[in-house]
Amino acid sequence: MNQLLRRLEPLGWNVLPPVVGVAMTAMIVGALAAAPREIIEGEVQRLMYLHVPSAVIMYGAFGFTAFASVMLLWKRDMRWDAAARSAALVGVFLCSMVLLSGAIWGKPIWGVYWTWDARLTTTLILLLIYVAYLLARSVAGPLDEQAARYAAIFAIIGVVDIPIIQMSVRWWRTLHPQPIIFRPNPALPDEMLLVLLIGFIAVASLATWLIFLQWNTERAAQRVSALRAEVDHREMA
Amino acid sequence: MSPFLAVVEKDLRLAWRNRSGWASAAAFATIAVLTYSFAFDLATGDVRPLLPGVLWTTFLFAGVFAAGQSFQDEVEDGTFEAMRLAPIPATAIFAGKLTANLIALLIIEFAQLLLATILFDAGLFTPALLGIVLIGTIGYVSLTTLLSTMGGHVRGRSVLLPVLVLPLLVPLLIGAVRGTGAALGLEAGTAPWIVLLGVFTLWSTLGAFLLFPVAVER
Repeated sequence: MNQLLRRLEPLGWNVLPPVVGVAMTAMIVGALAAAPREIIEGEVQRLMYLHVPSAVIMYGAFGFTAFASVMLLWKRDMRWDAAARSAALVGVFLCSMVLLSGAIWGKPIWGVYWTWDARLTTTLILLLIYVAYLLARSVAGPLDEQAARYAAIFAIIGVVDIPIIQMSVRWWRTLHPQPIIFRPNPALPDEMLLVLLIGFIAVASLATWLIFLQWNTERAAQRVSALRAEVDHREMA
Repeated sequence: MSPFLAVVEKDLRLAWRNRSGWASAAAFATIAVLTYSFAFDLATGDVRPLLPGVLWTTFLFAGVFAAGQSFQDEVEDGTFEAMRLAPIPATAIFAGKLTANLIALLIIEFAQLLLATILFDAGLFTPALLGIVLIGTIGYVSLTTLLSTMGGHVRGRSVLLPVLVLPLLVPLLIGAVRGTGAALGLEAGTAPWIVLLGVFTLWSTLGAFLLFPVAVER
């Protein structure tokens, strides 16, 4: 892990920021100007270029939290705890974006900001689970291994719970449009599909960059915590 | 005596000695059912369709409350540390605590069913409904026991525990409420709720058994 990190870390500082800048600009210009106006839904449909990528990348971030949690339990390396926390925080941010953009989109199209539809409910529960994860982890210091393990176990239970939540909520009720993108013949015009693809790249690189920055912050907090403990230890001696 | 039975016996004895903790969980559940019944009676003439929701929210809140209570004493007296030092497998400790919590909660739930039978004028003691209550209770007790055991040292845990557990329990809540509704002859949709409940209970119990030893490892 050490070698890989040493090789990847400069990329985080040098490559990611310009990539994020260019991709986000392209996404905003594409969504607002380049993409054609949707006939039925009108201008509000342009939210799709942010909404759909955020939803997909959010699952990626939560998946990474679970992966890092497994690695923490396995390797007992607190850097995985920092990684899991960072990904969860960015996932919560994306999840909030999804819910917010969805509510703004839903009002003119469905007539309501919120409804207990299957996907909306599932997404809200996801938000609650990962906010709970962050709360559970934040009650103890950055180097508290017991709290880190506790949070990791919670994250693993959470991720396993997601498919069951999805199934249960779908059985319970199902207003959200069915998938039109992830199937062999996407029902979107080519221009829209292209802007959406740029949206995916933009949100994915933004999420990666934010996770990287947050990871560095968490690592710094861990180091400060370790130094403080050492100073206390020496003063005692 | 096997370690499992020893832990069950110890936990039940502790629960009996610290009756006040469990009594407050039971009192909480009772007051919740009474308040629901009273509040809904003010709002609507027919309260029976609300009964499954009333029962399961009460069960879940009482269960989370009780799980936090039962572990508080263990942490304060340091008995959990002592038990971890004993040469018995962690899964035996977990199975013991789970069983003891389950027994105590089933007693509380039985009392609530009796109370709801009177207040809501519904025949609740049918095999189908008791089966749903049993399966659902195993499902949530395994998760509350796991999560309460782990957060023992954390301050403000009594507030944190419901925040952690309740979002995870949404599938169980949906399956149990709809299943209970079906058992009472209410409108409940056509999905196999009992299967959902069974699947949830199976994974939550298995998951808790697998993760408990990792959680309490030193």
